[in-house]
Amino acid sequence: MKSALINKSDIRLLLKEASREWNIYAPLEVQGGDVNFCCLPKENIKEALNRVTLDDKWIPVPPKDLFFPQLESLFEIKKNKIEETVEYSKKLLFGIKAYDYQGILFSDEFFKRTFQDNYYLSRTKDRLVIIKSCLTPPRQNACFCTSAKTGPFLDKDFDIQLVDIGEAYLVEIGSKRGEDFILKYKRFFKLCSNSEVDKALTVKEKAVDSIELKIDFSRAVELMKGKEPPEEIYKKIAQRCIHCGGCIYVCPTCTCFNVFDDKENEAMIRYRNWDTCVFEGFTREASGFNPRETKWLRASRRYEHKLWYDYKTTGKSGCVGCGRCLTSCPVELGMSKFIQEITA
Amino acid sequence: MKNEYIPYPAIIEAIQTESFDTRTLKVRFKDKRLRDSFDYKPGQFVEISVLGAGEAPISITSSPSRKGFLEFTVRAVGKVTKAIHKLKVGDTVYLRGPYGNSFPFEEAKNRNLLFVAGGIGLPPLRSVINMAFDNRDDFGNIKILYGAKAPDELCFKEELKIWQGIPQAEVLLTVDKPANGWKGNIGVVTTLWKKTEISPKDAIAYVCGPPIMIKFVLQKLLESGFKPDNIYVSLERYMKCGIGKCGHCNIGDKFACIDGPVFSFGQIKELPDKEREI
Ligand SMILES: Cc1cc2nc3c(=O)[nH]c(=O)nc-3n(C[C@H](O)[C@H](O)[C@H](O)COP(=O)(O)OP(=O)(O)OC[C@H]3O[C@@H](n4cnc5c(N)ncnc54)[C@H](O)[C@@H]3O)c2cc1C
Ligand code: SF4
Ligand code: SF4
Ligand code: FES
Repeated sequence: MKSALINKSDIRLLLKEASREWNIYAPLEVQGGDVNFCCLPKENIKEALNRVTLDDKWIPVPPKDLFFPQLESLFEIKKNKIEETVEYSKKLLFGIKAYDYQGILFSDEFFKRTFQDNYYLSRTKDRLVIIKSCLTPPRQNACFCTSAKTGPFLDKDFDIQLVDIGEAYLVEIGSKRGEDFILKYKRFFKLCSNSEVDKALTVKEKAVDSIELKIDFSRAVELMKGKEPPEEIYKKIAQRCIHCGGCIYVCPTCTCFNVFDDKENEAMIRYRNWDTCVFEGFTREASGFNPRETKWLRASRRYEHKLWYDYKTTGKSGCVGCGRCLTSCPVELGMSKFIQEITA
Repeated sequence: MKNEYIPYPAIIEAIQTESFDTRTLKVRFKDKRLRDSFDYKPGQFVEISVLGAGEAPISITSSPSRKGFLEFTVRAVGKVTKAIHKLKVGDTVYLRGPYGNSFPFEEAKNRNLLFVAGGIGLPPLRSVINMAFDNRDDFGNIKILYGAKAPDELCFKEELKIWQGIPQAEVLLTVDKPANGWKGNIGVVTTLWKKTEISPKDAIAYVCGPPIMIKFVLQKLLESGFKPDNIYVSLERYMKCGIGKCGHCNIGDKFACIDGPVFSFGQIKELPDKEREI
C-alpha cells in the first residue's frame, strides 16, 4: 500500500484548500460540546475549521443522512410538470470512523441492489472518504467494532486512512480516487519512511487491544441460522422496549422509510422520511390487519434482520458494531447486549 | 439511469361500479410510446398516485392479452383509495410499475386451472383468468370459486356470467349473507368444495383473498391432494415503494414487493413461522 505523511497542523489548511472544490463534511463541535458530522459552510469556513475536532470523540449520529436524509423531497409537480429533486455534489468526508465507512458501503450496496435508488446513488457519485479512527474507544462499554470486524482500522476498500502517530498522521492510500486526491494536494503531504510505517503498525495494534468489549458475532449468526433464539428472549426485550425508534435513527445501516405527499401553494411534493420496523404502524394495512402487531415480533425483527437476514443475503452482518443503539436507548437495550444474552 | 420513483400520467377512460365501495377504472397512459411499450405479466401491480393524497399498490386486473389500456379494481378503504374513488372520467392518475413477480402462466399450459378468490382478491386473479381464456386451447378445465360477504359485493358481475358460458369453465359463487333473490351457495368459499369436484390431477391452484380465507383454502387444497408447489398465493403486505427499498413489506429475508407478491405455498412454508399469518 502507498503511504504518505501529513502534519496535524496542516489538516485544516488542506481542508480549507479542498473546500474550493468539495463540499466538506467533518466532525464539528456543536453547541453543548457534542460532535456531529456537518457540512463546512463555504462562506464561513474559517470559523467552522476551528470547530473541526481531531480528537477521538463519540459521534452520536452516523453520517448516513448525507446520502439518505431524514426527510427529503422526491419530486414536485407544478402545473402537471414533474420536477425531480435529485441532489448531487462533490463530497469529501473527513474524519469518518472505519465502522461508519463500512456502514456507508453496506447501505451503498443495498440502494444499488435490484432497483437502483437514484436519490441515494446520486449523492454518492463523487465521494471521497478520509477515515480517521480512534486510538482508544470513546465509549468503552459501547464500542465493539473489533468484534464486528469493521475497525478500528481497515486493510482494504477505502480511499484514504489516517493513522495518528503523534505529531503527524500516516496517510494510507487505498484507492485510485484517494491517490488522485493526494496528488492534487501534494503540497500538504510529505514522503514517509519505514520507521513511520512501523510506528503506525504499533499504533494500530494498540488501538485494537484497547477495545475491551468483546461480542461473539459468529456464534450469534450461527444461532440465528439454526434455531432462532427463543421467543422468551424477545418477549423479555419487548417488555422493556418502549418502541421509540431511537436505536433505528442512530443506526448507520437502518434504511427503512415512509413516503407521503404534501401540498404547498400550487405544487404537490412527494417526500420520504425515515421510518422503522419497531413502530406498530409500520406493517398495519388499511384493512386493519397487521402481521407484526405483537410487540415481541417487532423486537425480534430488528435483531434478526441485522444479524441473520442481512448475512443471508449479503454475506455480511448489517450491524457494524458502532454501539450507538445501546447509548441512545432509554432502557439500555442494544445489539451488543442482545448478542451477549443469546450467546451467554 | 431511470428514476423508479417518478410516476407517469394516465387518463381515466371509464369507471365501472362493482359494489358500494369498489370500482374498476380503465386508464390509458397519456404518452403514446409508454402506452405501447408498457408490458406486464398477470399478478403484477403498479403504484397508483393521486397527487396530494399519496400512492398505493394496486394489482393490474386487466389481461396482458388485451393491449393499450390498463384496468384496476379499487376498494375505498383509506386515504389514497378514497381519493381514487373521487376521480371522474377524464381525470388523471399517475402510475409507475409494473412491479412484483407474477402468477405462473407458461408453466400452467396444458393443465387444469383452479382459482379461489375472496372479496377484493378476485381482481389480481382476473388478469390470469382472462389471459387463459384468451388462450383457451392451451389449458384444460378452468374452475373459479369466488366468495364475498354479500351478493352486492361480488366484483365483475357481468363478466362472471360470460366466464360461466365458456366451454369447460365453471364459476361457483358463494356469499356469507344472502340477499333477496340469491340462488347461489351460502357460506365461506371452502363450502364450495361440496358443490364441485376439486382434483389435484394436472392442476394448479391460484389463491387470493384476506389472510383468514387463504388459511382455510390452503388447508382444503392440501386435504384435496394439492402439492404445496402447485398452489400459488398472492400475499398482501403494507407497501410504500414497491421496489425493495422502504422495508415495509419485508417477511423474513424476502420483500413481498420484489420477491412476491406471488409465492407458492412451498415458498411460504420456508418463511419464518412467526412472520407469516398462513
Ligand atoms: C401487491 C398488492 C396489490 C394490491 N391490489 C389491490 C387491488 O387490486 N385493489 C385494492 O383495492 N387494493 C389492493 N391492494 C391493497 C391496497 O394497496 C390498499 O388498500 C391501499 O394501499 C390502502 O391505501 P389507502 O391510502 O387508501 O389507505 P390508508 O390506510 O390511508 O393507507 C395509507 C398508506 O398505507 C399503505 N397501505 C395501507 N394498507 C395497505 C395494504 N393493504 N397493502 C399495501 N399497502 C397498504 C399504502 O402505502 C397507503 O398509501 C393491494 C395491495 C398490495 C400489497
Ligand atoms: S445495530 Fe446498533 S451497534 Fe449495530 S450498527 Fe446499528 S446502531 Fe450500531
Ligand atoms: S431505542 Fe431502545 S426503547 Fe427505543 S426502540 Fe430502540 S430498543 Fe426500543
Ligand atoms: S414496498 Fe418498499 S420494500 Fe417492498
